[in-house]
Amino acid sequence: MHRFRPLTSRRVRGLGLLTAAGLLLSGCGNISLDGDTPQTTLEPKGPVAEKIDGLWDLTFWMAVVVFILVEFGVLFVAWKFRKRKDDTGEELPEQLHGNTKLEIGWTALPAVILAFLAVFTVSTVLDIAEEPEDSTRIRVVGQQWWWSYDYDLDGDGVYADDDVVQTGIENPEEYETDIEVANEMVIPAGEPVYLEIESRDVIHSFWIPALNGKKDAVPGRTHFLSIEADEPGTFIGQCTEFCGLSHAYMRMVVHALPRDEYDAWIDGQLEDAAEPESPEAAAGQEVFSQRCASCHLVDGLNTEEYNGATVVAGAAPNLTHVASRGSFAGSIFPLWRDTDGNDVVDWDEIGGELNRNQLEAWLRNPPEEKPMAADDNRGMPNLGLSEADIDSLVAYLTSLD
Amino acid sequence: MAIVEQPSTSVEARELEAGPRHASPDEALGVFKRPQGDTGWRSWLFTVDHKKIGIMYGAAALFFFLIGGVEALIIRTQLAAPEQELISADLYNQLFTMHGVTMIFLVVMPIGSAFMNYLIPLQIGARDVAFPRLNAFSFWCFLFGGIFFNSSWFLGGGTADGGWFAYAPNTSVVFSPSHGMDFYAIGLQITGIATLVGAVNLIATCLNLRAPGMTLMKMPVFTWMSLVTQFLLLFAMPVISVALFLLTFDRLFGANFFNVSAGADPLLWEHLFWIFGHPEVYIMILPAFGIVSETLPVFARKPIFGYEFIVFSGAAIGFMGWGVWAHHMFASGMGPISVAAFAVSTMFIAVPTGVKILNWMATMWGGKLSFTTPMLFSIGLVTMFTIGGLSGVSHAVAPADTQQTDTYYIVAHFHYVLFGGALFAFVGGFYYWWPKAFGLMLRENLGKAHFWVMLLGFNLTFGPMHVLGLQGMPRRTHSYFDGYGFNVWNMVATIGAYLIALSFLIFFWNIFVSWRDSKKVGWVPPGPDPWDARTIEWMTASPAPSHNFDHVPVVTHRDEFWYRKYGETDDHRIVRIAAAEEVAQTGARTDVHLPAPSYWPIVLCASFPLIGWGLIFNLGIAFVGGAIALLALFGLAMEPADDPDAGHGDHHDDHHGPDAGPEAAAADADADKEATLVD
Repeated sequence: MHRFRPLTSRRVRGLGLLTAAGLLLSGCGNISLDGDTPQTTLEPKGPVAEKIDGLWDLTFWMAVVVFILVEFGVLFVAWKFRKRKDDTGEELPEQLHGNTKLEIGWTALPAVILAFLAVFTVSTVLDIAEEPEDSTRIRVVGQQWWWSYDYDLDGDGVYADDDVVQTGIENPEEYETDIEVANEMVIPAGEPVYLEIESRDVIHSFWIPALNGKKDAVPGRTHFLSIEADEPGTFIGQCTEFCGLSHAYMRMVVHALPRDEYDAWIDGQLEDAAEPESPEAAAGQEVFSQRCASCHLVDGLNTEEYNGATVVAGAAPNLTHVASRGSFAGSIFPLWRDTDGNDVVDWDEIGGELNRNQLEAWLRNPPEEKPMAADDNRGMPNLGLSEADIDSLVAYLTSLD
Repeated sequence: MAIVEQPSTSVEARELEAGPRHASPDEALGVFKRPQGDTGWRSWLFTVDHKKIGIMYGAAALFFFLIGGVEALIIRTQLAAPEQELISADLYNQLFTMHGVTMIFLVVMPIGSAFMNYLIPLQIGARDVAFPRLNAFSFWCFLFGGIFFNSSWFLGGGTADGGWFAYAPNTSVVFSPSHGMDFYAIGLQITGIATLVGAVNLIATCLNLRAPGMTLMKMPVFTWMSLVTQFLLLFAMPVISVALFLLTFDRLFGANFFNVSAGADPLLWEHLFWIFGHPEVYIMILPAFGIVSETLPVFARKPIFGYEFIVFSGAAIGFMGWGVWAHHMFASGMGPISVAAFAVSTMFIAVPTGVKILNWMATMWGGKLSFTTPMLFSIGLVTMFTIGGLSGVSHAVAPADTQQTDTYYIVAHFHYVLFGGALFAFVGGFYYWWPKAFGLMLRENLGKAHFWVMLLGFNLTFGPMHVLGLQGMPRRTHSYFDGYGFNVWNMVATIGAYLIALSFLIFFWNIFVSWRDSKKVGWVPPGPDPWDARTIEWMTASPAPSHNFDHVPVVTHRDEFWYRKYGETDDHRIVRIAAAEEVAQTGARTDVHLPAPSYWPIVLCASFPLIGWGLIFNLGIAFVGGAIALLALFGLAMEPADDPDAGHGDHHDDHHGPDAGPEAAAADADADKEATLVD
C-alpha cells in the first residue's frame, strides 16, 4: 500500500502542539528535551514498522486538523458569544432547537472520514499479518522476567529446549543442531524474520518498537509476528504486558547483523561451551557445576544431567555463550560497557570492557538488584556465594564467548 | 417497597406516591418496627430518601477519591525521576492496581450514582425512586464493598497487585500469593451487586415514575443519559460477576478456569473482562455527557441544540459500545480478522461521540455565554474529551495501536477521557447542583481558581504522557532507566499531579468556607433557581424538600420550568413572564406521605464484608455474616409496610399552602387530586 513519508521533525512539532494544549503553542522543537530516545515508536527501522508509522502519520495529521478545528472552534464560539458587560440579561438569544440537515451532515462527515481511515487500517492489518516468504523462524519464549530465543536450525520442527522444562533433556542431540539463547536475539539484517511467540508462565508481550508493534506471549498459545531490520544495528524493547513484580525489568535486545556475520554467529553458538583456560576460570566452572548447574544449562558441561530449572517457569537462561551477549538479567544490566554513550550495548561493544561491578553485584545478591519472588521460585535466589566464588565465577562466565 | 399504581386512563393522572397511604402494620411484629425521626445521624443511616442517599454516594466517592488521589501522588512521586527507589516494585504494583480500581469503581461510578440518585426523581417529577429501600441497599452495599476492598491494606498481606484488568494467569495463587486478588474479586463482586440493583431501580424509576406529561422525549438529557447508562450496567455487570466468580473459585477453591496447565485459555478472561470493561467506559462517561448537556444550555441561555441527536447518539453509543471490546486486545494475538472487525467498529463509535461535541458547540453558538464555574468545567469537558476522543481514534487504527497499547500513550488517552471527560463534568455538576442539594452556593471565585488550576495541572500531568508513550515508555512499570528520553516529561507530569491535588484542596476549602458563609448573619440563601435553569429540579425549594415537590408538576414541554418562566410575545420575542419564585414551589407542604426509613438495608450490607473475610480467612466468620444477612432479609420482609405512628397526609383534602405561580400550578394540583394509589 501507499507509504506516507515519515515527516519526523514536522510531526514532532505537531505532537508538541497536541501536548501543549492550553499552553503556548510555539517552541516545541524537540519533544524529548533530554537526549536520545532509543525505544521510540516514531523512528521505524524495518518495513513493518514503517508501514505502521505511515498509518500513524496519516491518523496523526487527520487528528491534528480535527483538533485545531474543534478546540479553536470552541474557544472562538466561547469568545464570540460571551455575554457582554452591558447585557442586562433581559434580551434572550434566539432559541434555536436544532437543524436536522446540519446535524445529519455532521453525523455523515466523520463517518466518511473514518471510513477512509478504516480502508487503510484494514488493508494494513491484513498485510502485516501475512507470513513473509523465505523467513528465518525464531521461537520467542517469555517467562518471569526474561526472554529466550530458540533457533530451529536443522528445520526438523523440534526446538532444542522443547523438552527441557521440568522434565529433563530427552533429546540432547537437538543441542548439536539447534541453538537456544537468552535476552538478546540475533537476526540477519535485510531479511524477514518470523517469530513464534509463547510464554511459560503469565502473559508477556514482545516489543521491539523500531521493528514492529507488540504481540502478547500467552501461555498455551503460539502467536506470530514478523520483524525485519533494514540495516544492521541494535534495537531495544521491553515487555509491555504487565507480568508481575519485575515487569519493568524484562527487556530485550535484537542485534541485526549482515548475513555473513550472522552465519558466523550461528556457527559459534552451535559449539559447546569453551573449556576454561585459566585456573581461575576452572575454579569458576567448579562453582558453576555445584551451585548454578541445577538451573542453568551450559551445553557440553551439564547437558547430560540437566533436569530443567527449579522455578515456576521451568527454565533459566542458557549460559553456554553468555559472554557473547551484551546484557544480562533480563537485559537490564549491560554486561559490557556502552563506550559510545548511546545507552545501548552495540554489537561491536560486546567483548570489550566488562561491566564487572554490576556482574559481581548480581552474583552477590540477585533479588537486591532486581525485584524477584525467588522465595516462590520465581527469579534467581541469593546463593550466598563467597567473594572468592564470585571472582572465579566471573572469570568462568566471561570465558563463555 | 414497590409502588403499585392503579391503571390510569389519563397520562396526567400518573403520579408517584412513595408508599402506601394507609399502612396496615402488623402490631405483633413490634421487633421489626421502623426507625423514626428525620434529623440526626439515624436519619442518614436508615434513610431511604433518594436525596440523602445521593449525597452519601457523593461523600463516600469523594472520600475514596482522596485515597485514590494519594495513591496517584505516590505513584507520580516514584516516577518523578529515573531509577528512584522510593517504594518497592511490589508496593508500586499494588498502588497502581488500587488506584485504578478505586478511581473506576469507587469514585467515578459512584459520583455518577450520586448525581443519578439525587437528580433523576427530581428531574422527572417523582417523589423518590421506584424502590426506595433497595436504593438504600445499593448505597450501603457499594460502601461496604469499597471498605472491604480497601481493608486489604491492613488484612490482605498486600493488596491486589494484578492491575484493574487482572489478566489471568498472573492473578492465580502461584503468581499473586497474597490475599490481595481475593479482596479484589470479592470486593468488586459486592460493589457489582450494588450497581446491578441500582440499575434495576433507576430503570424502573425512569420508565414508570415520570410526572404527568413527561414523555420519554421530554425527559431531561441527564436523565436520558443515565437511563442508557443503567441499561449498560444491567447487561455489563453480570459479565464481570461471572468472571469474578470464576477467579474467586480458582483462587479459593482450586478450580481450573484459568489454569493453563489444565487446558485453560487465558484469553477467556480477557474477553470476559473487556466485554464488561468497554461498556464500563461508556457507563462512566455518559452521565458526564448528560451533565454538560444540562449546564451548557443554561449558561448559553439557549435550549440544547438537537435534543434528538444528543439523545439518540447517546443511545447509539449504548448499543455500539457492545461491539468494540476487543480493541483492548489488538496485541493479544486473536487473529487479523478479529482485529480488522473490531478496528472498524471502534472507528465508527467515534461518530455518535463526535456528534455530541458538535451539538454542544452549536448549543453555545449564538448564545449569551456566562462563564460561571459549572460552565467553565463543561467547556473543559468539551475541549479535553475531544483530545481523548482523537487519541481514541488512533487506537482504532489497529496497527498503530500495537505500537501504542500498554504504553503511557494509553494512560494519557483514558485520563483525557475519564478525568478530562467524566471528572471535569462531575466537578462542574457539583458546583451546579450544590445550591439545590445544600441550599447554598459554592463561592464562584474559588470555583474558578479550582477550574484553572485543575485544567493546568491536568494537562501538565497527562499531556506529556502522550509523548512518553510514543517514545516507548511502557505503563505499569515501577521504574525507568536514564537515557531513554523519559526524564523531563515524567518530572513535568509529577508537577502537574501536585497541581491537581492543589486544585482539589481549593475545592474542599471552597466547600468549607461556603458553608461557613451560610452561617453568617445577613447571608442570603440562593433561592430555588440561582442559575435561571430550565429543568424541573429547580422548580422546588433549595435544598429540595424531602417530598421533592409540593405537587407533582404537569409537564407540557421539554425544559418545562423554563417555559413557565418565559413566553413568546405576538411579535415572536421571548420575554420573561414570571419570576422563578413565582413558579417554583416553596416545599412548605408537610403532609406528603413518604416511605418510612428502614434499619435493614445497612444491616444486610454490613454482613457482606463478613462473608468476604470469612471466605478468605475462616469460614466461621462467613457463617456469622450469613446469619446476619438472613436476619436482615427477614427484617426487610417482615417489617411493617409503614411506620404506624407517623402522621399521614391525605391527598384527597389537598391544600397547597401559599399557591405559587400561574395556572400551571393549578394544573399540577388537579393532577395531584386525580392520582390514585393502592396499597
